[in-house]
Amino acid sequence: MSELIVAILLLTGASFMILASVGILRLPDLPTRMHASTKAGAMGAMMTMAGVAMHFGDVVVFTRAFAIVIFILITAPIAAHVIGRAGYFLGTPLWEGTVKDELKDNYDEKTHSLYSGFEPAPESVIPPTHKKRDEDDEI
Amino acid sequence: MIGFFWNVTLALAWVALSGSFTAWNLLAGLIFGYLALMVLQKHVPALKGYSRRLPRLVSFSLFFIKELFKANFRVAYDVATPVWYMKPGVIAFEMEAHSDAEIMFLSSFISLTPGTLSLDVSDDRRVLYIHAMFLQDEEQLRKDLKELEFRILKIMR
Amino acid sequence: MLNVVINIVYFMLSVALLFAFIRLTKGPSLPDRVVSLELIASIVVGYVGVHAIDTGVSSLLDVAIVIALTAFLTAIGFARFLERGGRKSE
Repeated sequence: MSELIVAILLLTGASFMILASVGILRLPDLPTRMHASTKAGAMGAMMTMAGVAMHFGDVVVFTRAFAIVIFILITAPIAAHVIGRAGYFLGTPLWEGTVKDELKDNYDEKTHSLYSGFEPAPESVIPPTHKKRDEDDEI
Repeated sequence: MIGFFWNVTLALAWVALSGSFTAWNLLAGLIFGYLALMVLQKHVPALKGYSRRLPRLVSFSLFFIKELFKANFRVAYDVATPVWYMKPGVIAFEMEAHSDAEIMFLSSFISLTPGTLSLDVSDDRRVLYIHAMFLQDEEQLRKDLKELEFRILKIMR
Repeated sequence: MLNVVINIVYFMLSVALLFAFIRLTKGPSLPDRVVSLELIASIVVGYVGVHAIDTGVSSLLDVAIVIALTAFLTAIGFARFLERGGRKSE
């Protein structure tokens, strides 16, 4: 019975790996490739580790496999975020089928500052000081 | 957080007093500590609402695993079939999360679900920029993200 | 039965490794290569787990821990390098 569960877990994990690698090979641009590869790859590794824990059925192995799963669960989103961010700001071209890009307009390449699109609101609440500051700048 | 610390301390005390250091005994200690804190929390202000978090955490885990599998199959279907149904794009998602820890958990869980990838937080921490793979129904996606955020904030706050 | 399954899983992982390797050599930009390196590390972690079941040596899991750790550090380091390089070239 436990052998069957181990076999199912291993096969599911390997299928996730195949899915990730086919995705990384076929998809057209960096962010979509990352959708397929980083998460499915992490899922595959976690499934395999669950299979290992089931197979040995031992507390020591179980805690170690559990530690690996937790570790992958923590690091996978951070690594994905970091690489995706670096790739985006390097100017890696997006696929031509991309529908919309709300980040591009709010990003200032020279100062590397990223606006939220909500900035004008608080400034317009206090117009007098704002105006005065403008005059100071001109002088 | 302090509640969890006391829970672990009580479990260790249980293990030490009952004299057998095994995983099952530690688990029993954790459960007894949890029950003890559940009784105590009305009288100690620092522990307020501790026992309510565990059911929320369990329901959040179930919800998240469900979302994970749903999203995985969606991405898998698009990768495996020759025609692409995806409409990728970057959207700005207005957050209600404010502190560092809340933003970190929210962006990590968004990154962990296939189909959405958090790219960056704006400098004034009001907007999270997300790359999404399926933008056919943007309203639905925003609603799903709002629900995820609501559930995370319910655990954190 | 488990032996057959393990052989099938080895084969599937090898195919996945091959695809990831093709992207590693082909990748038009450096971030693409970093992503495929990350995936290769995940696949190798899976390999080590399956090998641990195959041989019955549970201490192989330590190797998996080290590989997962170094893969994460590599990704962070590469991203740092990429962002620095991007700023310098402007």
